[in-house]
Amino acid sequence: MPVGLQAPPSLGVPGKKRWAMVIDLRRCIGCMACVCADKAEYDVPLGVWRTIVKVKDTGSYPNTKRHFMPRLCNHCDNPPCVRNCPTEATYKHEEGFVLQRYERCIACRTCIAACPYNARHVLPKNRDRVQVGGVVDKCTFCHHRVAADMVPACVQTCLGRSRIFGDLNDPNSEVARLVARHSMVTLKPEKGTAPQVYYIQPDRINTQQVHSQPVSYAARADAAAFYRHNRGSQFFSGVL
Amino acid sequence: MFEYSEFNIAPWGWEITVYFFLIGTAAMTFVYAAAPAVFGNVFGGVARSMEPFQKIGMLAALVLLMISGPLLIIDLGVPERFLYPILYFHWTSPLSWGALFLPLFGLCIVGFLAALWTNRPGLLKPIGILGMLLSLSMPLYTGLDLMVHQTRELWNNPTIPVLFVILSVNSGTALVSLVQLVRGQFDARTHEFLHWFLFVALGTTLALFLGELVTLMYGSEELQQAWTIINSQFAVQFWLLTFLLGILLPMLLMILTHFRPNPVLFTLAAVLAAVGAYFFRTVLIVVGQLTQIYF
Repeated sequence: MPVGLQAPPSLGVPGKKRWAMVIDLRRCIGCMACVCADKAEYDVPLGVWRTIVKVKDTGSYPNTKRHFMPRLCNHCDNPPCVRNCPTEATYKHEEGFVLQRYERCIACRTCIAACPYNARHVLPKNRDRVQVGGVVDKCTFCHHRVAADMVPACVQTCLGRSRIFGDLNDPNSEVARLVARHSMVTLKPEKGTAPQVYYIQPDRINTQQVHSQPVSYAARADAAAFYRHNRGSQFFSGVL
Repeated sequence: MFEYSEFNIAPWGWEITVYFFLIGTAAMTFVYAAAPAVFGNVFGGVARSMEPFQKIGMLAALVLLMISGPLLIIDLGVPERFLYPILYFHWTSPLSWGALFLPLFGLCIVGFLAALWTNRPGLLKPIGILGMLLSLSMPLYTGLDLMVHQTRELWNNPTIPVLFVILSVNSGTALVSLVQLVRGQFDARTHEFLHWFLFVALGTTLALFLGELVTLMYGSEELQQAWTIINSQFAVQFWLLTFLLGILLPMLLMILTHFRPNPVLFTLAAVLAAVGAYFFRTVLIVVGQLTQIYF
């Protein structure tokens, strides 16, 4: 078992569940319904996301293509965020979820620095409807819904059934069959995090770091503004 | 459309870079101030040159700690939970260890000062040894805090904690020489003592700087991106303030003052080395976070 975890990875362990997600990019149409469902499920504030669909345009007219890339916490089997958390506020559930104890989080953001998938954010303080604020939040694979025999909100609402959720340890589950039959890609496998979100046919521009730099004028301008804004002074746009 | 609707964020800002600098400076100030009590007549009693610095040095370390500790706490999203890393101690997180060592380090400073004021010389050596070990742990843990991030290639190398210790020697020496110069107590023995430390520290900084350069230039995809970011957005901090003003110029001044001891020139070299130490850390911390910005 990797050091610093509260539960050993359950992938391939008989009698245990290992929840995982398959994202079939052949089916994603970039409708953002998953993002909206997630925002609605958790009242995710403006400016932060638990899940997002990255969109990139490549080529020049008429030879262009729009690439979609749904992104969320990869619920790694070797999560660096868990190992680095100084208060064990983030922990590994025995069924594979990487979860967050809000009442323990000090928002030191070590987990954000540790996560290579940009899957974590800080909630603003002083929220209207939800009391939880000022702490780090993340996708939970909708643990509360899964515990009630439902699928995550993003999976439930996905129009093209691009997102498929299930128990990877169950050979008859759809995710297990898909993982067995298709060539799958995980993000940044070289980091040793053992991510458990599997992609079918992602485009190179979405998986390779250097090649995914902003291309269009608007994207470059956005990125430049972001750099100016974040050069060590006003991180998190002042939400903290 | 939507291509950059969501950005990767750099979670650690100026508060962290300033904290790393101040706590490192406080640590090495403690080492210098406690050196006469700990080393005494070892090495020909050269550490005794720091005797006039003992009390003021400990006070300076305490002031720096009083600034850096609260700075770290207010940087937290939930500052009132600042004791949680100790209460819910997680042994694989360097931050937990740092949170444990930080107050102990403060206690050593207070204990040393109390022993000085109450004239109990027998206590100085044990408190000094313990405090020196904790002093070493301060820059070490800040470096480890970066090093353990397996997903950040610029940080994930074993030279980072060593580099942070060495950079602390640079900034600590700057503070000591500045204080001694202002107080008119910068004599020849002080010069000899500090000169040796700063020379070794600067030489090591240069070696580690070159090591970083080679790693960046021959690095993987992420390091190549870091190299681009450094040269495009942090060129002034990296090349001018760190390499030229923070390493090369102080080394030249050190060579000069080796042959012609001059407290003012030496102090200038030390202050420049401290400036370099601050910006070297800053560039590593910030660029290490920006490399994943596009992903």
